[in-house]
Parts: sequence; structure tokens; C-alpha cells
Amino acid sequence: MQSNFPRLVKRLSKIFIYILVILAVFLSIAPIVYLVLTSFKEPELTFVIPPVWSFTPTLKNYKEVLSSTDFNKYFLNSVITALSTTAIALTLGTLAAYGFSRFRFRGHFWLKMSSLIPQMLPPIAIIVPLYVLFSRLDWIDTRQSLIISYLTFTIPLCTWMMIGFFDDVPIELEEAAMIDGCSRFGALSRISLPLVVPGMAATAILAFLYCWNEFLYAVILTGRNARTLPVIITSFMTNKSVLWGRIAASGTLVLIPVLIFALLAQRYLVRGLAKGAVKG
Amino acid sequence: MNLPQSQVSNKYRRLIRKLEPAFYIAPAFVVLTVVLLYPLGYALWLSFHEWTLRTFKQGIPFIGFQNYTDLFSNPDFLNSIKITFTFVFLAISFEFILGMGLALLLNQELKGRGLFRSMILLPMMCTNVVIGLIWRLLLNYQYGLVNYYLGRLGILPIEWLSSPKVAMASVVLVDVWNTTSFVALMLLAGLQSLPDEPYEAAKMDGASELQSFFFLTLPLLKPIILVTLLWRFIDTFRIFDVVYLLTAGGPARATETVSIYIYRYGFQSFNLGVAAASAFIMLLIMLVFAGLLARSIGQEE
Repeated sequence: MQSNFPRLVKRLSKIFIYILVILAVFLSIAPIVYLVLTSFKEPELTFVIPPVWSFTPTLKNYKEVLSSTDFNKYFLNSVITALSTTAIALTLGTLAAYGFSRFRFRGHFWLKMSSLIPQMLPPIAIIVPLYVLFSRLDWIDTRQSLIISYLTFTIPLCTWMMIGFFDDVPIELEEAAMIDGCSRFGALSRISLPLVVPGMAATAILAFLYCWNEFLYAVILTGRNARTLPVIITSFMTNKSVLWGRIAASGTLVLIPVLIFALLAQRYLVRGLAKGAVKG
Repeated sequence: MNLPQSQVSNKYRRLIRKLEPAFYIAPAFVVLTVVLLYPLGYALWLSFHEWTLRTFKQGIPFIGFQNYTDLFSNPDFLNSIKITFTFVFLAISFEFILGMGLALLLNQELKGRGLFRSMILLPMMCTNVVIGLIWRLLLNYQYGLVNYYLGRLGILPIEWLSSPKVAMASVVLVDVWNTTSFVALMLLAGLQSLPDEPYEAAKMDGASELQSFFFLTLPLLKPIILVTLLWRFIDTFRIFDVVYLLTAGGPARATETVSIYIYRYGFQSFNLGVAAASAFIMLLIMLVFAGLLARSIGQEE
């Protein structure tokens, strides 16, 4: 009886831990679940209090979203903008990260830190000058203007994350290859790069999501042609009315890649962000 | 004949070796500089000129530091700085306390940990526009689910977004919902890389779990805490879209952060000079704080 007591405490505290974790999970996903449910409700049911939890799902909101806007075009804009930005930023960021990870030179630490400065710029601060610049180039409402703007925060992000992943690859592997007559660039591309592919995938996903989710640059720099999805969502809010059903439906559509990527990449994402500066 | 040439090629080789890191690092920095040089230069120019809808057609007068000096006596601007710091402090404090708790929980051996982690990660990956709008619906005074379920518990409805006293708390709440998972998962990554030996030694010496948390875990986690703090500081200090969609800075400027203040001056009053000057003051404040944090990170290395 006496010896069973500590085990009981342990079991109870284990149950308590599960309850807390499940509470955290509930709080994290409840608003998202609510959004998804709202998107399948008849618009009239959105504001019914007490809330209706059992209803016949309808695709009405989705149909309206898809027919009232050029949804496909804006979807394509979002994909192309996010993919192109990610490709460029990942290439430049991976190279820079390799440089920071493998070489030590004067000012190494502060140069590494200063790569975060563009990340610090409040978008609101540079958006007016960017607008002026792009209108001089006649690039307002084009995808390239968005891609260029997004590079300002994706390059720092990619550099930062990839440093951590390169630090995980033992330098000895490359040294061995170089003794065997490989150039450093050869050692990078043949030895280290294949080993950081999972890290690159995670970095790419995060950079993609940052672009996918971006709102401020998109709302100001684009119009009819190059508009991206987050802007579409707010277009269902007008001075006269807020069409919550359509907002929920378009919001759900925008979240689909987010949900997929969160499940795929969670393990690597955090490690990458965490490691950037911690390892010297 | 041969000797000087090999000396030259040695020198040449040394130079190449010295420049080698630049070959990798430079492209990223060159692209960033090219993209940002014009916008930053133009913003700096604007901040020294009086650019308003009235002046921009008849030549924009140069007014030196007047935009800057005016800002320091402008109650709205000072208010927005105070609001921003309040927001940054409250949001980061709650995110760290809750995030640490969550990290310690997830560090336990649990069945289905990967799945829990994915779900907890979702809020930080969500589109900000969607977050702002969902919470506007949830926190709605009349129709919001939050007030409804609080009512079921016998709590009177709260004016989450329309009362100046509560709005700040609501904005903090939404940011905490959005990014506690980020803090938790960063700290979790740190917890999982901690060595076992010091804990075993502490246990032998009779330290309680609480003691080893405060005297071992926290100091060992310091580097990762600082990095997380740096990321959160950068993101909270310039927060715009979530707050804008929730409250648009209101009511009565109770949630008007510097970014929203700049938006109001730049895009609603078209006073671009003042907007640019505020942006530079904001950037300067951020650089000072981020620099201090970066220095502590550097000392840890």
C-alpha cells in the first residue's frame, strides 16, 4: 500500500500533464476549427447565438468566393510570387550561410547579425519609397515588384536558418574531400549540400509561408493583376457589410498549404530557427 | 626567374583565400543592398522634407530636422511609442511564461508528441489576415463566441475590442495565441539539447526539481532564450496587420502602435515626411535594442 503511493502520484501527474497538453492543443486549434466550420455554414447561421454546432454543411460560401473573384488568377499569383521568392532567397541564403558557417574572419559575428537588419525594417517604413521606385520603373501591380520586396525578409530568414543546419555538418567531411582533390565548392555541392537537404526543405517551407501570408506589401503594391490571396480575403469587408461566410471560406482556402506544411515540417522548422546563432 | 613568380602566385593565393568567404556571403548582401538602397535613401530624403498633399505640387521644401523635432513634441507619436513598448513588454512576458510551461510539458515523454507539436505549431504559421479576422469575430461583443461562453460561466460580456481599457489586453491576447507556440518550440529545441550530467550531479546533491530548473535549466538555456527574445522583439515591435485588422489602432488610439501611427500619417493624411521621420526613429530604437540583445548573444558564443 505504502509503496504504491509514489507510483499513484506519478500516474496522476502524468494524467495532469496530458490534460494540460490537450488544453493547449485545444486553445491552439479551436479558432481555426471555428473558421473552417463557419465557412461551411449558411451565411445566416454565422451570427446565431447560441452558436449552432450541428448544421448541414453547404458549399455556398465557396461557390461565391470562386465565382465573385478571379480566385484562380490570384491563387496563381500567390504561388508564383512565393515560389520565385523562395527559390532566389534560398539560393542566396544557403551560399551566405555556408560562408558564415565555414569561415571565421574579422567582424564575422557582427556581419552575421547585420544580415538581420533588413528583417528589422518595418515594412510600413519602406513601402512608400518602394512604391515610388516601382512606379518609376512602371512595375506597380506586377509580380516582380512583390518578389523583390519579399526578398528583403526572406534572404535574412534563409541565411539565419541555414547557418544552423551547416553547423551540424562536421567540417571534417569536407576536409577529407578536399584532401582527395575536391575544390571547396565541389566539397560544398557534393558533400555538405546533400546533408542539409532536410534543413533546406524546412527553410524553404518557412520562407514560402512568410510570402504566402504577407499582406501589407501586397495590398499596397498590387492592384487587379498581381494581387495575392490575403488581399482577397479583406476584399469581402466593405464599408457597408462584412461578408463573414466568404471571409471564412477564402481564409480556409488560404490556410490549406499552411496546414499541410505544418504537419510536414514541424520537426525541422524549430531546430533551424533555434540554431542560427546559438552555435558559435 | 622562377622564385619571384611563385612568390607572386603565393601572394595571389593568399588573397584568394582571404576573399573566399566573400564569394559565398557577398551575393546575398549585394542583393539586399541593391533592393534596399533606394527605398532607404528616399525615405531618409523624405524625412528631411515637408511632403504633404499641399506641398508636393509646388516643390517640396527642405526643412532639416523639423519633422524629427516636431515628432518629439507630438503627443500622438509619443503615445504610439508608449503603446508599442507596453505591447512588446506584455506580449513577450506572457509568451515566455506560457511558452516555457508548454516547452516543459512537451519535453515529457508523451504518446503522440509529434502530432501535439504540429497542432500547437499551427497558430504561428497562420496567415495574419486570417488571424486578425477570426479573432475579430470571436471577440465580437454581441455575437462573439468568447462572450457567449463566458456568459454561460456567469461572466458579464466584455467589450474586448471597443473599450479603450480592454483593447490592449485583447491585442496582447491574440498575439499570445499567435506566437506562444513559436517561443515554446524554440525553448523545446533548447531543452532537448541540454546535457544530462549536471542534472544527475544536482540530484545527488539533493537539489529539488524547482532548484535545478532555476539554477541549471534557465542558465543553460540562456543563449536560446536570448535568440528567441531577439526574434520576438523584432516581430512585436513592428507589428501591424493583426492589430490593424483587430482594432485599427483604436479605440481612442489605445492600440495605436508606431507602425499604425506611420500608416495613418503616410496613407491617410499623406504626410510622407513625418511618416518617414517616425519610421527612422522607430528603426533606431529597434537597432539599439536588437544591438544590445545581439551583444549578449555574442558574449554567449
